[in-house]
Amino acid sequence: MKMRRQNATLLAIGAAILLGTTACSGGLLGGGSGATDDPNATVKIGMVVPISGSSAPTGAYMVNGAQMAVDELNAAGGVLGGRQLELIVEDEGCDPQQSVAGANKLVSDGVVVSVGGYCSGATLPTLPIFETANIPMIIPAANSQELVNQGLKNVFMINGTGTQQSAAALKFILKQGFATVALVDDNTSYSSDITTETEAQITADGTSSVVLNTSVTPGESDYSAVVRAIMDANPALVYWTGYYQEGGLIINQLKTAGYTGAIMVADGSVDASIAQIAGPGSEGVYATMTQTPDTIVGAETWIADYTAAFDSAPGPYSTQSYDAVRVAAKAIDDAGSTDGDAIITALEAIDGFSMFSGPLKFTAEHTLSSGGFAILVLKDGKFVLSDDLS
Amino acid sequence: MTQLLWDGLFVGSFYALIALGYSMVYGIIKLLNFAHGDLYMLGAFVAFAMLSSLGGIPASLSIVSLLVVLMLSMVISGAAGVVIERFAYRPLRNSPRLALLISAVGVSFILEYGVSAIAGPNPRAFPVRLEGEMFMVLGARITMPQIVLMLIAAVLMVLLDTYIRKTSTGRAMRSISLDRTGSLLMGINVNAVITRTFFIGSALAAAAGVMAGAHYGNINFLMGFIIGLKAFTAAVIGGIGNIRGAMLGGLLLGFIEAFGAEWFGGEWRDVFAFAILILFLTLRPTGILGERVTERV
Repeated sequence: MKMRRQNATLLAIGAAILLGTTACSGGLLGGGSGATDDPNATVKIGMVVPISGSSAPTGAYMVNGAQMAVDELNAAGGVLGGRQLELIVEDEGCDPQQSVAGANKLVSDGVVVSVGGYCSGATLPTLPIFETANIPMIIPAANSQELVNQGLKNVFMINGTGTQQSAAALKFILKQGFATVALVDDNTSYSSDITTETEAQITADGTSSVVLNTSVTPGESDYSAVVRAIMDANPALVYWTGYYQEGGLIINQLKTAGYTGAIMVADGSVDASIAQIAGPGSEGVYATMTQTPDTIVGAETWIADYTAAFDSAPGPYSTQSYDAVRVAAKAIDDAGSTDGDAIITALEAIDGFSMFSGPLKFTAEHTLSSGGFAILVLKDGKFVLSDDLS
Repeated sequence: MTQLLWDGLFVGSFYALIALGYSMVYGIIKLLNFAHGDLYMLGAFVAFAMLSSLGGIPASLSIVSLLVVLMLSMVISGAAGVVIERFAYRPLRNSPRLALLISAVGVSFILEYGVSAIAGPNPRAFPVRLEGEMFMVLGARITMPQIVLMLIAAVLMVLLDTYIRKTSTGRAMRSISLDRTGSLLMGINVNAVITRTFFIGSALAAAAGVMAGAHYGNINFLMGFIIGLKAFTAAVIGGIGNIRGAMLGGLLLGFIEAFGAEWFGGEWRDVFAFAILILFLTLRPTGILGERVTERV
């Protein structure tokens, strides 16, 4: 009896020592954010983006864009007088559970700034995690109004918000004279955010009317129910605010059913694959989107550099991720340290920093002063600029 | 109204094809094969691989090439089903049912993430798509491809029903589902018959997968998951273990979903379908065509 108790006690003590000393920065006795003052350590920047799942292609563009900025900054001397930047990527898979796990890993890895966030539904639960660790977030793609409404001081959005996207949609609807509009979303945070906002803005304006506002379940193949509802309502424009896999299927099934009106998608559906999935009916489909690399005037050199570095053309959100890293680096340099509060103050003080979407100045809510949305249209399977809504 | 019925019938035929495999396997070894939906996905991806390697196919040959690829994919997926049975289910045949169930879940994940690792996680566009002109019949929008696919499904189901009722293997399957030890004692090669059952069930699921790929034009490695659940629901509604019940359950589920979506809105479709499943499990667990089995002491 005595031998067994001795063994058990020894085991317990041994386990406690192991847990306390393993990876001091991440162990039970270690600190949360490993922002060391070691002048030779790399400054770590983290991003949680979709590496797997149906949004994986966009995640790849974002990682490449960010990596390009990191490489350029390191070649020019790094930040804080010579410290190199290091990019750490975790997978969100457009799934809240995965993104939370990824965010926790980044925090224990000791990142100083987060520059990721694509699916709003997956980004939302990571906000309190980074806030507790006092890590500023510069979000390049996720743009649901709910992220802004959390009111957290460490969150900065550099993609036009859902409200700004709805305003752009309304502007286009009025310009083209669509009298009746049907709104379809996929019941996720980002998507229903836009339809709610758009319906509110259309109703407040009064010129057009919303004849249908419905949702579909993502991940399925058969959307005959929503096709029926749309054909019955007979709108002049259908606005789909979900992601491209479902969008492509809905466009294809609408066109097969004989729908003759116009179709518009939100920025979550902007990906070349939507034309493949939708088939020939995708010709002429509109999209509300912040500028992509090929629609930005003067971005040819950047595109050439990207293609040379990664052996493929850039895609949506590569420019925003590139800018997010540059903004983060500027804020770190302005703050003169890797302290979260100092970086936040530096970010709020930025005025006129040049990004692809225009000069940067954050509003009081930490969003862009101007959304930068334009209307793109699908021609020959690629998105080109149709109307810059100026 | 006719549009609702037609949409429900079309989706229901897919559910029926997959529910058949579920029901057959449950009937014969009392296993809920959670990997069955993933055999549907495997069939679609095998067909995708074959069609992609052929390069361009002229539109006039699309139906023929699709039929050929359909049959090849059915054979390959059937073989996959046989391999799965041999290595994941047969060793556990005399173990508690929970072990078999967990093994099935494991096989499901292996199939899903194996395909994801090989073919990539992104959704792929199917190379051959059945496009057709839409024409109106009694107020419903119908396309030729829809009719062709439903005919293929109906032919397969009729063939299976005849096989079960008229051939000796079919008789053996029915007797094994009644009493496995008794069948063994009567000289039936139980292992061979079970292998054949898995082959047929997997082949049918693969057929549904190829047809779904050709019709909807889009496949991804998780497409089998929700379809597997729906097929399970269909099998339970019709009476699990019963072949005709599976067909009936599939068609019924198609209608239930169509009406549910119409009355409550598209986002409530799955809620409605699974609520009906719970209702059946509590009120009539043997399903519509199932018989109440009494234990005689």
